[in-house]
Amino acid sequence: MTMTMQWEQLEQYQPVVVKMLTKSLEKGRVSHAYLFEGQRGTGKKAASLLLAKSLFCLHPLGIKPCNECRNCRRIDSGNHPDVHVIAPDGQSIKKEQIELLQQEFTKTAMEADKKLYIIEHADQMTTSAANSLLKFLEEPRPGTVAILLTEQYHRILETIVSRCQVFSFQPLPPALLANDLIEQQIPPHMAFLAAHVTNNYEEALELSRDSWFAQARKIVLQLYEMLKKNDLQALFFLHDQWVPHFQEKQQIDLGLDLLLYIYKDMLHIQLGQPDYVVYRDKIDDLQQWALACSQRQIVQSMEIILQAKARLNTTNMSVPLLMEQLILDLKEGKAFV
Amino acid sequence: MKIAIDRESLAKSVQDVMKAVSPRTTIPILTGIKITATSQGVTLTGSDSDISIESFIPVEEEGKLLVEVKETGSVVLQARFFAEIVKKLPQQTVEIEVGPNFLTVIRSGKAEFNLNGLDPDEYPRLPQIEEENIFKIPTDLLKTIIRQTVFAVSTSETRPILTGVNWKFENGELTCTATDSHRLALRKAKIETENPQSHNVVIPGKSLNELSKILDDSNDPVDIVVTANQILFKTKHLLFFSRLLDGNYPETARLIPTDSKTDIIVNAKEFLQAIDRASLLAREGRNNVVKLTTLNDGIIEISSVSPEIGKVTEEIQSESVEGEELKISFSAKYMMDALKALDGTDIKISFTGAMRPFLLRPLHNDSMLQLILPVRTY
Repeated sequence: MTMTMQWEQLEQYQPVVVKMLTKSLEKGRVSHAYLFEGQRGTGKKAASLLLAKSLFCLHPLGIKPCNECRNCRRIDSGNHPDVHVIAPDGQSIKKEQIELLQQEFTKTAMEADKKLYIIEHADQMTTSAANSLLKFLEEPRPGTVAILLTEQYHRILETIVSRCQVFSFQPLPPALLANDLIEQQIPPHMAFLAAHVTNNYEEALELSRDSWFAQARKIVLQLYEMLKKNDLQALFFLHDQWVPHFQEKQQIDLGLDLLLYIYKDMLHIQLGQPDYVVYRDKIDDLQQWALACSQRQIVQSMEIILQAKARLNTTNMSVPLLMEQLILDLKEGKAFV
Repeated sequence: MKIAIDRESLAKSVQDVMKAVSPRTTIPILTGIKITATSQGVTLTGSDSDISIESFIPVEEEGKLLVEVKETGSVVLQARFFAEIVKKLPQQTVEIEVGPNFLTVIRSGKAEFNLNGLDPDEYPRLPQIEEENIFKIPTDLLKTIIRQTVFAVSTSETRPILTGVNWKFENGELTCTATDSHRLALRKAKIETENPQSHNVVIPGKSLNELSKILDDSNDPVDIVVTANQILFKTKHLLFFSRLLDGNYPETARLIPTDSKTDIIVNAKEFLQAIDRASLLAREGRNNVVKLTTLNDGIIEISSVSPEIGKVTEEIQSESVEGEELKISFSAKYMMDALKALDGTDIKISFTGAMRPFLLRPLHNDSMLQLILPVRTY
C-alpha cells in the first residue's frame, strides 16, 4: 500500500467517502469517532492515515497534507507520540491494549493539542476490550479523534456502532481491477483471481506476480480434482501439498477462498452467467463439473467451506484437523460407499 | 555530529535519562536515546512519552574539559545497547561520530562499535522553555512536598484525574492536593516567582515519584515551568518533563471541615506506634480498621478486633482532649500514611462526629493537613 497517498488518489475509487471526509475537514467539523468498514484493500487504513496527516500536518495545502513535514513522516513511521495505532495482538485486541490507550488519553497530548487513535480490525476486540472502549467513546474529550477499521461490520458491538460516524468503503468491481492488471502484462487467469482476492490494486499486482500465489492456485485446483475421485487420495494430497503450502492463518483463509471460488464458478455456470467465472482458463472443465452435480450440492459445499472459514477465524482448532474435516464433509461420505 | 566526550560524565547522563526510557513502548523511536551536540555541550534525552528526561553535559565544568564538539548534530541510538556500551568502554574518552544514514561509530581506545542510528527528526519535540514563566523552589522542599502528598493519590483508573496531584500556583503560593476520595493530603508552600500568572494543573502521581527519585538532596533551587501540555522541572544539568492529566480536578476546599466538636492533641510518634501495633491484628481482617475511643483524663484508647484472631487494646496519654466524647473507626493504613507524612512532633486531630471526616494537622504549622474519612462500624 502506498503510504504517501493523497486524497485525490483515494477519491478515484472511494469518491463518496473522500468527499464527505474532505468536506468535514474543510469545515473543521471532524467527528470524535469514525467507523470505516469495507472489504480488504478498499483503502480504509490509507484513509485513516490521510485523515491523521490532514489534522497534524505542519504545512498543509488547504486540507491536503504535505507528506514531507516531521508530523507527516512520523505518522507514516508510527513514531508520532500523539497518533496511536492499535492492531490485534495475536488473535484479538486485548483489554490491556485498550486500557493502555485509555491511560494514554487521560493525559494531555505530548506535542500538539490533539490526539488520534486508529484501531485496526476493531471487530477483533474482546468483549471486555470493546466495553472499555465504549466508556471512552461515550465521553469524548475535545481534540480526540478515534478511527475504527473493520472488514466485518456486523461483528462490531451495536453500542459502539451507534457512537461512531460510519463510512462504508465500496468494493471495487473485480472485473475493472482485473482489466487494470491485464494491462500490466499479468496473464488473465491470474488477474481475475487476484482481483477477487483483494480490492487493492497494488496488493493484487503483487499477488499476481507472487509465485506462492500461483502455486496456491494450482494446489487448490488439484485438491478439487482429487475430491471428485472416489477414494481418500484427497486426504493424502492434503498432507503432502496443502498443509505445507498454506501455513499462516491468513494464507489458509485465502486457500479456502480460492476453493470457494470453484464452487461459485460452477454455480454461475449453472445459472448461465459465465461472465462471472473466476477460473476462466478452466471454463471447459468447470462446465463438465457443473453438469455432474446439483445446485443444492454446490450450495451445500459452499456452506461447508464458509463454516470452515468461520471456525478458522473464531477458534483455535488445529489446521490439519480442520482441513480433514472439511474434506470429509465435502465428500459427504462418498468415499466410504 | 562528531564529539569526544568524558566517559564518566556520559555514563552518568545516560544513567539519568535511562530512567525515562521504557522497554515496553508503543512508539518505536522512544526505545532510543537522543543525543544532540551543540557548541555549548551535549544533551541526552530519554522518554516514555509520560515523562521525559534531558541531561546536559557542558563543554567545560569547573575548569575540566568534558566534551570536545568537532561537529554539531544529532542522532537517536538504541538505549539498551548504548547504555551497556558506554558502561563497558575501556578508555576515559569516548568518541562518537555520526555518518551518512545515521550510522554511528563509537570509539574508545581500541574498541570500536558501529551502531545503526535513527533519524532525530522522528523524536518527539519537547516544549520550549520560556524564561519568564519560572517558579523557584528548593530541591529538598520539593521532595518533601511530593512525599507528603503523592501517597494519597488514587491507584484505580476509574477516575483517572485522581491518579494525579493537583498543583495550584496562586499569589506566590503553591498548593498541592491529592485524594483518592477516601482521604486527602494537602500541602502549601511559598514559591519564588516574578510571574503573577496562576496555574492549575494535575500531575500524574507516577511522574512525581520518578521526579523525587532523580532529584538529589540539596537545597539548590529547582525551576518549575508550566506549559500547556507539560510541566517542566529544571535543576542544574537535568530537565524533567511530565505530561499532565487532562480534565478538571474536583473542588476540594469545601470538603475540609472548618469547625470541630472534639480536638485531640497527641505526640505523633507515640500515636503512630500505637496504631501500628493495633493494626497488627487488623491487617489480617478485611479492611484494616482500628477504633479510637476517648476516655477520662485525656486518655484515648486504640483498639481493634478481628473475631477469628483476637483483639488488642492500648491506652495512650494525650496532651489534651477537648470537646465531646467520641468513638470512631478508621483505616489504620490511611492513619499511618498520614502520620508519617506529617513531620511535626505534636499533632492536632479535629473530629466533627463519628461519621464525618476528620483532620490531622501539626500543632504549630498550618502549611499541611491530612483528611481521613472514618469507617462505618456497627
